Amino acid sequence: MRTPAALVPALALILLVAAPAAAAAGVRSVTLAGPRPFGLFIGDAILLEADIVADPGFRVMTASLPRPGPVTYWLDLRSVAVEDGGVRDGAGHHRVRLEYQTFYAPLEPRALDIPSLTLTLNDGARSAEAVIPAWTFLTSPLRELRSGAGGDGGGPYLRPDVPPRPVDGTVGMLAAAGSGTALPLLLALNAWHRGWWPFRARARRPFMRALRVARLDLQMTGDAGAYRAALLAFHRAFDAAAGRRVLGDDVPVLLDAVPAFRPLRADIERFFEASRLAFFGADTAAAIDRLPPAALLALGRRLTAAEREAG
Amino acid sequence: MTTGPLRFPGRSAVLRLLLAAAAALLVLSLVMVLRDVRDNRLIGGLAAGRDLAVGDTAVPEVRFARAHFLMQRDRLDEARAEVERISAADAAAVRAAALYDLANAGLRAALEHLEAGRIDPATALIRIAKDDYRRALALDPGFWDAKHNLDVAMRLVRDFPEVGSGEDEQRPDTAKPLWTDLPGLPRGLP
Repeated sequence: MRTPAALVPALALILLVAAPAAAAAGVRSVTLAGPRPFGLFIGDAILLEADIVADPGFRVMTASLPRPGPVTYWLDLRSVAVEDGGVRDGAGHHRVRLEYQTFYAPLEPRALDIPSLTLTLNDGARSAEAVIPAWTFLTSPLRELRSGAGGDGGGPYLRPDVPPRPVDGTVGMLAAAGSGTALPLLLALNAWHRGWWPFRARARRPFMRALRVARLDLQMTGDAGAYRAALLAFHRAFDAAAGRRVLGDDVPVLLDAVPAFRPLRADIERFFEASRLAFFGADTAAAIDRLPPAALLALGRRLTAAEREAG
Repeated sequence: MTTGPLRFPGRSAVLRLLLAAAAALLVLSLVMVLRDVRDNRLIGGLAAGRDLAVGDTAVPEVRFARAHFLMQRDRLDEARAEVERISAADAAAVRAAALYDLANAGLRAALEHLEAGRIDPATALIRIAKDDYRRALALDPGFWDAKHNLDVAMRLVRDFPEVGSGEDEQRPDTAKPLWTDLPGLPRGLP
């Protein structure tokens, strides 16, 4: 039903204006391009583009541009814009875009002129005039000359009203659907992260956390400090599992507290030996020898599995 | 959180931020949905012929519905006040449609005057309608129905250039036409 807002200038019509008069000072040529110069109707927007080639340094004076508004009783100037095309081939290029709108209601096809314009260019010292030529187009009527009465004879035919439309609610619906989906997911993620219901059991699994910390430490650096940090993480997990501080001699107490660890007794004792070497003997190398990082992680995995079994 | 030294530090904080953002978005969008539902109920009520008032903060679509309701009841001045409050910057298409409907209402009223032989009020109404069509077309040059009806209005009261237009800062439409072709209505063709 609707056409594009402005008829795009067709390069088919280019009026090249030999501008010997204007060339006297500064302005070399003015070229005007417009849309097809026929088949225009009342209300159509007409975009004219004038390319001004001038000596370098010249600029179009803003004060010489026409102001948007009515030009004649049937022609409005909708907008004016100047684009500086820079200097090419030793000449400054300027493009002036003039968007007009015709409101002429012709009774038969009729030629109309968009009047010519004179713009002033200035380079600081001298000024020059660029004449944008008039542009002639043919405007056509929309209706028959004697298209008076509508079918029922109730006055001339009018196109119907545009009915009021409802508000477009898709944006709100989409945003509600998106955030309504994201919120429960994030809530679940947060519950998992913090060990809330239904992930409460997760919070009671200190070895899982210790294993993750140890794995990160050992993978990131893998030096003696990282090894000791990993040992510490497991110590904290043992403390948490037993509900008290667990030292090397307390392994039986630990196994009483967590019977699920009983099958791992030998490995757990090896862990405490390595720990003693590392922290009290200050001999991390010997500790690593006694319980290499890979074995430590393997123990961690089995402890995690046992802890999960225990609930 | 007691995380290891090499752990990404802000996991809890990031999660909290995302939660807050999702909750805020949900609240905002629900408010939006509720507002849309309320607006559409208002628009539906006006379309069904109920004389519902619209508030100062009404959205353009609601204003248009109210204006249309008023136009259909020949309350053109109130309708115009409503149309003028639709911002061209926010809702150019709605404003163009509202101006077009307003012009149609004026033109229909003018035609009734013509039928009763009252030329002067008809001429005044047609001139206003032409201006409204032009304003609708200025917002949307591809509005074909507005072009058509402007053409109809133009044939009823033609535009003509002002005589001896000197300092014409005046809008052309407000100029007095030299001649009108009002009697050109082909009623009862031979």
